[in-house]
Amino acid sequence: MKNVDLKEITSENKVRGLWRMMRQYRGIYAVAIISIGLAAVSRAGIYYGLAYFVDDVLPDASQLRLLPWLVAGLILLASLQGAFTFISGRLAARTAESVTRNLRNYLYDHLQRLNFTYHDVNQTGELLQRATSDVDTVRRLFAEQLIGSGRILLLFLVNFIALLTINVRLAWITIIVIPVVIVISYYFFIKVGEVFESFQDQEAVISNRLQENLTGVRVVKAFARQQYEIDQFDTENWEKYVRGRRLTMMHSTYWPFTDVICGLQTVVSLYIGAQMVINGVITTGTFIAFSGLMVQIIWPIRNLGRLIADSSTGFVAFGRLQIIIRQMREPLDQGNHQPEGHIRGDIRFNNVDFAYDNGIPILYDISFTVKPGQTVAILGGTGSGKTTLMNLLPRFYEVKEGDIMLDGVDLNQIHRAYLRDQIGVVMQEPFLFSATIRENLVYGMKDEVSDEQVFEAARAAAVHDVIMEFPKGYETMVGERGVTLSGGQKQRVALARTLLRNPALLILDSATSAVDTETESHIREALNQMNTARTTFIIAHRITSVMHADLILVLDNGRIVQRGTHHDLISQPGIYQRTYQLQAQIEQELEDELASVDKRKVLVAGD
Amino acid sequence: MSENYYEEEEFTTEFNGSTLYRILQQGLIHWPWMLAFLIGIGAVALLESYMTFLGKRIIDEGIIPRDFDALRSIAIEYALLLIIFAAFVWLFIFTAGTLGHRVQYDLRKQMFERIQQLELGYFDRTPTGWLMSRATSDASRVGDLVSWGFLDIAWTIMSVTTSLVFMFVISWRMTLIVLVMIPVLAWVSIKFKSRILREFRLVRKINSQITNAYAENISGVRVVKSLRREEKNLNQFGVLTDNMFTAGFRAAWLSALYLPIVILISMVTVAAIVWFSGFETQIGGITIGGIQAFIGYITFMLWPIQQMAIVYAQMQQAVASAERIFSLLDTEPQIIDAEDAYDPGTIRGDIVFDHIDFQYEEGKPVLEDFYLHVKQGETIAIVGPTGAGKSTIVNLLCRFYEPTNGTVRFNGVDYQEMSLYAIHSRIGMVLQTPHLFSGTVRENIRYGRLSASDDEVYEASRIAGAHQFILDLDDGYDTQVGEGGVLLSVGQKQLLSLARAILADPDIFIMDEATSSVDTLTEALVQQGMDVLMEGRTSFVIAHRLSTIKNADRILVIENGGVSEMGTHAELIRAQGHYYNLYTNQFRSQKEQEYLNEV
Repeated sequence: MKNVDLKEITSENKVRGLWRMMRQYRGIYAVAIISIGLAAVSRAGIYYGLAYFVDDVLPDASQLRLLPWLVAGLILLASLQGAFTFISGRLAARTAESVTRNLRNYLYDHLQRLNFTYHDVNQTGELLQRATSDVDTVRRLFAEQLIGSGRILLLFLVNFIALLTINVRLAWITIIVIPVVIVISYYFFIKVGEVFESFQDQEAVISNRLQENLTGVRVVKAFARQQYEIDQFDTENWEKYVRGRRLTMMHSTYWPFTDVICGLQTVVSLYIGAQMVINGVITTGTFIAFSGLMVQIIWPIRNLGRLIADSSTGFVAFGRLQIIIRQMREPLDQGNHQPEGHIRGDIRFNNVDFAYDNGIPILYDISFTVKPGQTVAILGGTGSGKTTLMNLLPRFYEVKEGDIMLDGVDLNQIHRAYLRDQIGVVMQEPFLFSATIRENLVYGMKDEVSDEQVFEAARAAAVHDVIMEFPKGYETMVGERGVTLSGGQKQRVALARTLLRNPALLILDSATSAVDTETESHIREALNQMNTARTTFIIAHRITSVMHADLILVLDNGRIVQRGTHHDLISQPGIYQRTYQLQAQIEQELEDELASVDKRKVLVAGD
Repeated sequence: MSENYYEEEEFTTEFNGSTLYRILQQGLIHWPWMLAFLIGIGAVALLESYMTFLGKRIIDEGIIPRDFDALRSIAIEYALLLIIFAAFVWLFIFTAGTLGHRVQYDLRKQMFERIQQLELGYFDRTPTGWLMSRATSDASRVGDLVSWGFLDIAWTIMSVTTSLVFMFVISWRMTLIVLVMIPVLAWVSIKFKSRILREFRLVRKINSQITNAYAENISGVRVVKSLRREEKNLNQFGVLTDNMFTAGFRAAWLSALYLPIVILISMVTVAAIVWFSGFETQIGGITIGGIQAFIGYITFMLWPIQQMAIVYAQMQQAVASAERIFSLLDTEPQIIDAEDAYDPGTIRGDIVFDHIDFQYEEGKPVLEDFYLHVKQGETIAIVGPTGAGKSTIVNLLCRFYEPTNGTVRFNGVDYQEMSLYAIHSRIGMVLQTPHLFSGTVRENIRYGRLSASDDEVYEASRIAGAHQFILDLDDGYDTQVGEGGVLLSVGQKQLLSLARAILADPDIFIMDEATSSVDTLTEALVQQGMDVLMEGRTSFVIAHRLSTIKNADRILVIENGGVSEMGTHAELIRAQGHYYNLYTNQFRSQKEQEYLNEV
């Protein structure tokens, strides 16, 4: 598989963009179009053969010996026509499929290389729509519309020239209606496109109705609203029928209408042609050839309007793809600093500010230092900027002001891919792929991994035993077609996936928030044993999760408001102390609460 | 990565005659349309053949004898016929298309009605997507068969027949040549088209794999980046697009090969005609116009015969779709009214779960000999870990499921003797993630009682504590809630569904409390609304909030589907069992949420 760089197709001029996209295939596409022309020529040849047969062979019995040659000639011409038709079809298909493959691959890669900011503001469904249906619309542009329009134009050209050789006046008379038909068919297909869209919209309305009814089935039943639902559905269903009928009405008007136009043109031409035969201007054979050629000109034109209308949707789809491709990719190989081996994990934030593209500041003046192997905990409420702060380290987002030094080197100087290989991030919302558990675990690995390594990582994340309880163990499918893992289980699988990479710097972003306290402490112990030289960041909101850290940073509204060890912070008035107190208070309340039950028992007993 | 998980539905390859007959019956309900379309298509086939014949007459009666008058009259006849022809074309397209849409409408209507009758268990077993595609793509496939499929069959039969008749009239001997061509062409077409269709199915299958790969890559893009999976992903995706290229290219060039072969077959036939006519004209067997007409008929017959191969493939798909539709329509609801079911007017009073056995799956009993007597006005809290089966009791109470043994008694009466409507219309329910229908706020509240006046709607939402926030919305009661209520917060949705339940004024109230936290103010409003609803009504609450649990008259603890403990809060705490653990955990996490958010 070769991946073609399609950056250059983002030209403002869409035609130029399409032209560039078919760069390697221009030759064969040209051959495809020429072949159509040659097929049309062969076809025209057949009519000449028939004319010769009628004029020169039939009337003269002595010429009948030529008959075998004539028959052979006809079959030869048909074979040529067939061969050229096939060649053009095959080459056009090759072009269309190749161009589409390049486009699919490029787009796929492009989407995974756009930065977080892009994905933050663009919805998955929207991008998916672009990558699938828009790509297919562009494919059809090459496979159907361009080649189809070419076919009709060449048929016209070849047959018209042939008609001109027969009789100039007749040729011009024959094409009188053609501009009319093109205009009518173009407007019809534009209009029918709109009506079709409204029909499709109604289809969507019906789907939504049904979907809502199915997901709300309990409500429908609990309120015994079946009849109401049936009536509601019927209204929309009937509306769809009405729109379908309107669509049918348009088609049932267009086709016979153009039938009449094209048919009358045929009659008039035949009539004038026949008069010419009678007047001795042309021969009977020529007349027969003429009537065959004429059909090849008039009737295909009815589809030209459709092709033009469809091409315009193709161009629109292409434009939407161009917009995506114009987005700048994240330069993964940017940065010169790429030392052998692992980073040490010496981190220094110097007066870092950060704001998203919309300008709202998230982090202010963040400064702290971490020595290799230390564990840093970050505590703070929702929206305090914890996650954003951690996303700066792998450079998922870029620092606005200030700088971050890793092992004494500015983060911006470090080769981006190298940097990310060094850092393992476990996010709060674990995303697992619909594959087996094992496939999910080895997802981040470049090389083959032994089962023992996989098990070890799973054990450290305290999920090995859970997995072994599934009937298929590590081969269990995750997601829709497999088991549904609980939030805590998913988090642990995601953790194991990152641990397997054995990163030099580990970021746990509320990675065990859905895991119970006891399991969490097992995981913590396992992590401590695994790699003592690893620098670790922990984002959490439970005191028990952060109290063992070498450094605790308390974040509030994007600022570090407290820093120190558990020991330091516990005696300082502030958020940390309050959180700690509240957690103690909860335990106290619980105790009181449980005791009150017992007290009541005493009272009851005392009665 | 995701190659294996998206299987296209396979189509049955054998025709099922009775299914086809049943499809036909769906069309025959609208027999005037069907008749009109048969008349239309018959007339079109006849006129089309005759117009080719007129081409012969132009040559034989006009040109050869040099007769201007005959030529003119034939041309006028041709032009007039063309207009009649157009009228019939209009008739058959319009009737066939309309009939197809009508059959779709009918099928969808029948399916929707059947879906409303089916019991809840059916929906637990059947994925929503399955039902959705029955009512959408399958219905339209059958509709297309009734319109365009049947149309093509009728057209093929009639146009081939009429052409052959005209050819016989012109020269019966040469018609024999054509009769040889037809089966050859038909055979080649069917072989080719079924092969091409197979390729296109493969293309569709790979296409959905590609879609899946895109979907996962986009929604998992943050993981992809942090695990630096880009290159490996692209390589895997490249395999998919390579497969797609191979399949798509093969499907396309096979299609491109088909037409030339058809052209060649027809040309061999034409050549044979030319050959024989060379001799025939000498003995006056055929005229020049006749030869021209024959060539016309041969070219003209190509299309319907080709079309047959496509119809055949379409028919296979449509029959498979129809089988699925009919299997839905033939599903009998398991929970239905007994013949003499009656409406007792009210279901207030004591409720008894009278020695109930119940299982969702054969051999996995969930409840065994479960007995519970709930006094009128009592509040029962149901607690337990996620997925333990807390809704089972509620499902049985609502008769969404029926017990395998034993029964539920309202006021001492076996509820299987009552009509479903009598029970359902007197139960008010508020779900954990409240389900709203797209439409306005007003419509959603009125869902509780369709006959309620605006004032009653306002009153209910005042009692539920929803009135104020509704008035603060942009369009007040006429605000659109969006699909599934996406435009509202969870708390707001709960308030609306409380108002909906209040409006229904139920005898029994069922509430599934939300696990996710809502803001304190809304929380208090929800609590108030619940209190109003529980006042004097027998209530079942799948409870998550400490206050609800503690204040309940009795608590059922559900573990692994069954009831493991039952009693009052104090009793169960003292027992130090499952409830004790559940409660303390719940206590910690709820308080953590309450307090730590304030910090």
